Amino acid sequence: MTPSIAGVAIMARHELADAVRSRRALVLLTLYLVGSVAATAIFATLLKHIEVEVSAAVGLESAKQVGTVSSTLWKSKPFREMVIHLTGDRALGETLLQVPPVGLFYGWLSLTFAPLLVLMTAAGRMAEDIGDGSARFILFRSSRLDWCLGTFLGQAGQLLLALLLSALGAWVTGWWRLAGAFDAVATMQAMLWLAFKAWFYALAALGLALGVSQFFSSPHLATVVGFIVLVGLSVLAGLARHFSGDGLRRLWDLALLLTPGGHRLGVWHNDAAHLLPTMAYLVALAFVYLFAGYAYLARRDL
Amino acid sequence: MTHALELRGVVKTYGRRRALNGLDLCVPAGSVFGLVGSNGAGKTTCMAASVGLLRIDAGTIDLLEAGPFDPLRHTGRVALLPQDSHLPPHATAGELLRFYGQLQGLAPAELAGAVQDVLEWTNLVDRRDSRVRTLSHGMARRLTIAQAFLGRPELVLLDEPLSGLDPREVVRIRGLIRERRGRQTIVISSHNLHEIEALCDRVAFIEAGRLVEQNTLAEIVRRDHTITYTLQASALTAAALQPLAPALRCELTPDGTALVVAFDGTGATHAEVNARVLRCLLDAGVGITEVRCGSKLESQYMQATGERPRQEKP
Repeated sequence: MTPSIAGVAIMARHELADAVRSRRALVLLTLYLVGSVAATAIFATLLKHIEVEVSAAVGLESAKQVGTVSSTLWKSKPFREMVIHLTGDRALGETLLQVPPVGLFYGWLSLTFAPLLVLMTAAGRMAEDIGDGSARFILFRSSRLDWCLGTFLGQAGQLLLALLLSALGAWVTGWWRLAGAFDAVATMQAMLWLAFKAWFYALAALGLALGVSQFFSSPHLATVVGFIVLVGLSVLAGLARHFSGDGLRRLWDLALLLTPGGHRLGVWHNDAAHLLPTMAYLVALAFVYLFAGYAYLARRDL
Repeated sequence: MTHALELRGVVKTYGRRRALNGLDLCVPAGSVFGLVGSNGAGKTTCMAASVGLLRIDAGTIDLLEAGPFDPLRHTGRVALLPQDSHLPPHATAGELLRFYGQLQGLAPAELAGAVQDVLEWTNLVDRRDSRVRTLSHGMARRLTIAQAFLGRPELVLLDEPLSGLDPREVVRIRGLIRERRGRQTIVISSHNLHEIEALCDRVAFIEAGRLVEQNTLAEIVRRDHTITYTLQASALTAAALQPLAPALRCELTPDGTALVVAFDGTGATHAEVNARVLRCLLDAGVGITEVRCGSKLESQYMQATGERPRQEKP
């Protein structure tokens, strides 16, 4: 079956419009915004405590504004060598050190929590429409594939907006709390770029959420199963990273390819040689998960 | 196009239960077709399977002589009013109909007109901007009817279309469905046999997932060669009807409240037969409360499905 571009576009637009009408979009944007603002505020507070402790330990007068010590530390050679050593990859280490501390924190935050939030907000979507029968008004007017792809695109649009808004929230909070050493332009650029990369990372989770959703008629059950599968995949990625090696242990690399977590490190890179394959893998993973659900949807009774 | 919907040996199972058990059905194009059956007979399953919402296990379904349901071939040509399904609650009636119209391929120029038509049709123009969740049950039901007729699809499948409507709206929608006879094919599933009698020109009885009988309504109720008299309680006996025999076959219910007179093969008209029977009944001093051509669909359904009606009631 070939999707109809017009059908997919109509469905995606409806998904977005319905999210606005039902205030699902408002909840989603609020979750991302409040989450990023709160987490960045906590980060700034922690940073302040650490800077005070570090200043006291080396016998210096505490900086008046938070972030000054961190900025100085960020530029120091020993610290930079330490980061490069910890990442085990000089290119990646250099890339990370180009990102302002608060930007780096935002990147970690969005890569860690965006998939969970996606699961929470998207896993019930198609199951809800199947459960209450509203899908029946659609599916004699359109193909199941158009419905599946349109819902995915509509959700992906909301997700991008939510991540960009969360980056903005984190930037404002950082600017307010770390005024002493806040390079506004560089941080904004870094955060928007990281939000965009986190979107690709979260697309895999979105594919998973909607893939799972197509198996169920209860949004709650779909959400619970979605969480279980996501946690399972994260554990699998962790195990794969630990056990990966030579010989038969190379099979674990396959597991890394098939889990979003296996591509997480690649998202931090900025060079095309690393980043483009990572993004391609993540998009492919999103569609693998989505179409695994679609394979069932295409044959199920509605 | 001779038929709008044709099912041949369709089997659909849910676990161990066979909802459709080799169902054959042929809906002529342009007819208003009634599907009659008890709860669980397979009416809803038949409709959902016809538009591809349910996957069948065996048999064939031919929709508008273009094979089984395929969105590429049938989008915009077929519509369904599903039973027990809820419209998305957050959209307004107008937004929802526009969305459905776009999906079924209505051009932007005709979309507004098509939406206005069905809103007027279902008396919902003043609720165009109301969200679905704010509509009463009856209004929401009318909106589901509106979506089924949006864009004038060739085949409309209505599952219990008039349930939940107030009497005024029932009369209104019934009239509007009648107006569509000959222009669209409409299949109506209902438990309300009075509704089926009032709307349909062809009827099929379905029981346990199989076709029991299918014919024109006139044939099923033997409208052309039967007259039913509803009588006041009386001591009317078979002997009093003797003058009518052998040309007319008279069947009196045990409680004496209904008399069914069959005159097939006699060449007599309804008026001639009626004149004879009325004279006979009046001579016998029997009060008559109703005279109707044919039997009631209800009694024919009961007979066809193996249960004898207790009595004909007005």
